Amino acid sequence: MKFTNLFKKELKELLTVQVLVSMIVTMLVLIFVGNSFGGIIEDTVEEASEMTICDRDNTPFTQQLIKALTVSEIDENTGLPLKYDDSLVTLVDIPTDNYIEEFKRLDINSVIIIPKGFSDKIAAGEKAELINISRMTSGATLSNISMNDAAVGSIREAIKQSYIVEHGISLEELGTAESLVTVQDKTIVADRSADVSSATIASLTSMQNMFLPIVVYILLMFSSQMIISAISTEKIDKTLETLFSAPVSRMSVLCAKMLAAAVIAALNAVAYMIGFNYMMKGMTTGMTSEGSDAILQQLGLHLSVGDYALVGIQLFLTILIALSVSLVLGALAKDAKAAQSLTMPIMFLAMIPYILSMIIDIKSLPAVVRYIVYAIPFTHTFTACDNIMFGNMKLYFGGMIYQMVLLVICLTLAVKVFTTDRIFTMTIDPSRKRKNKKGFKSDAQDGQTD
Amino acid sequence: MEKVLEVKELSKMYKKGVYASEKVSFDIGQGEIFALIGPNGAGKTTTIRMIATLLSSTEGDALVSGYSINKEPAKVRENITYLPDEAGAYKQMTGKSYLEFMAGLYAKNKNEQKLFVERASETAELGDRLNDKIGSYSRGMIRKLLLSRAVMSRPALAILDEPTSGLDIINALEIRRMIKSLAAEGMSFLLSSHNMLEIEYVSDRVGIIAKGHLLEVGTVQGLKDKYAVSNLEEVFERVVKQNEIY
Repeated sequence: MKFTNLFKKELKELLTVQVLVSMIVTMLVLIFVGNSFGGIIEDTVEEASEMTICDRDNTPFTQQLIKALTVSEIDENTGLPLKYDDSLVTLVDIPTDNYIEEFKRLDINSVIIIPKGFSDKIAAGEKAELINISRMTSGATLSNISMNDAAVGSIREAIKQSYIVEHGISLEELGTAESLVTVQDKTIVADRSADVSSATIASLTSMQNMFLPIVVYILLMFSSQMIISAISTEKIDKTLETLFSAPVSRMSVLCAKMLAAAVIAALNAVAYMIGFNYMMKGMTTGMTSEGSDAILQQLGLHLSVGDYALVGIQLFLTILIALSVSLVLGALAKDAKAAQSLTMPIMFLAMIPYILSMIIDIKSLPAVVRYIVYAIPFTHTFTACDNIMFGNMKLYFGGMIYQMVLLVICLTLAVKVFTTDRIFTMTIDPSRKRKNKKGFKSDAQDGQTD
Repeated sequence: MEKVLEVKELSKMYKKGVYASEKVSFDIGQGEIFALIGPNGAGKTTTIRMIATLLSSTEGDALVSGYSINKEPAKVRENITYLPDEAGAYKQMTGKSYLEFMAGLYAKNKNEQKLFVERASETAELGDRLNDKIGSYSRGMIRKLLLSRAVMSRPALAILDEPTSGLDIINALEIRRMIKSLAAEGMSFLLSSHNMLEIEYVSDRVGIIAKGHLLEVGTVQGLKDKYAVSNLEEVFERVVKQNEIY
């Protein structure tokens, strides 16, 4: 009985309106992210299952190989093809070796080129080379799924089968058959290319792509919480009234708070960057080599000091936006409990681009979802690294301008709140509506007019 | 007596047609202790906050040492200090560093800042505890610290909202004595309280405020004589009933 009473009381204390709202919004955010993922994964898988082939050899043998790639159903008993789906393979003509331009012209992201003389070499039992080219537009995990490797595997298998049929089976010959096809991998990033597979590049850049969103998210939450707590504590303790009645302008108080929080956030950013950098180095020791560094540099995927500065600018803009929004949110707090829950809007807004940017290429989202995600100012910082590395500078600068405009709006709002009566009169109290129904006075009538 | 504060028909409207204080007028001379008395929600804090330049007035004006709260709020703030009701201080600071910080906002130079801190340290009577963090202070100690902060710059007008609320008898008495002695030195005080006994003891003149209206202003004795009663509480009751406020 006593325990039940205690338990009920604790439950009532913990299950506040804020907690319920937090639960519901978290669920809605995850549903939104899930729906975005669902669509994009479907599109990605569909896109990835389609192969683009350039048959420069164009012989009955290569045509047969390509036909083998369109098999959509196999007889389980005989292993023979039952159905073909021509839409699985798109044939393109790539007359020159200027792949960067050819990719732009054809608007494709991957292709397997069967070079001239391929069939002759196979027929002569010589090694023949396929060229596997991919264009990377993002470091996000799902953006680099391609069927090229599967296609190469299918071609190898088909050639092996025909070789075995033609030459009979011996262990030595089986080895030869398996090594008949070699692959030359090429990856295109913006206007640069390197002889390496996109999968290798994706694995080399994955740590970098994972690292920035974590830093941005932690810093956003840290700086927001810091300023909300600082403002709400000053308001609740009435030290803000003491400060504002002193011979010092409200703008000075506001600027000092913003600057101090920005400095702490910047120090944190540096600390996190250094810490994570060493952590990543430790985790990737042995995974990278001087050669891989050179390839990343060749593709422009190695962030230079200037690139880091560009990322830093957006990081700083994001933090300033979060701080100015937090200043207003902090002023809304009526008590410590309310102050705690006021970080929620920022947390949810940061959570969406945080999750999305790590997994999918935001550029590839459906238009409506994409614009919603881009409307969140933090998105542009989460994608800053990716945009700079993959040469999407229009997106980077567009995002930066948007953040600057939003910062001016948020700062104007914060200044308006700080330099008017609102700093003392506005509060948020989810239980107020209920109180008003019962006949309680609003803040303006009770708390402020003693 | 030179006027330090002149309040002229000062009004604050929060919602359309709902006044927290309406056409409030009074003045305070140099070295005078003036108290605004009234129940919770009477409009004391709103009036005080307007004079302290924290809230803007809807109508009317107030002059502090000749400076308008509407037109020259920065000048007003140079001539006042304000101690809010149940105010706290920065808990992570020591008492001394808090005084240094606040003195830095009021002082014109380092020497003046030092003088303010010395003065406040003496007034606060906290001894070595000034070197401890404010987080470890009792409520009485914090109030003493804040009051010493409010008077350290010897402003023309110190505005104290419920200066002794929540304090024990000893601490409250010490603070009342402090206010009286500083007034004797020429500082003016605007107090707000709903503790009529305290006001009767400490103030030179009182203003009775209820539902945003200043109903009566006078000396404690003058008001008692006028209404032929023995204490301020009874004066308040008569004034309120006479004006059919409650």
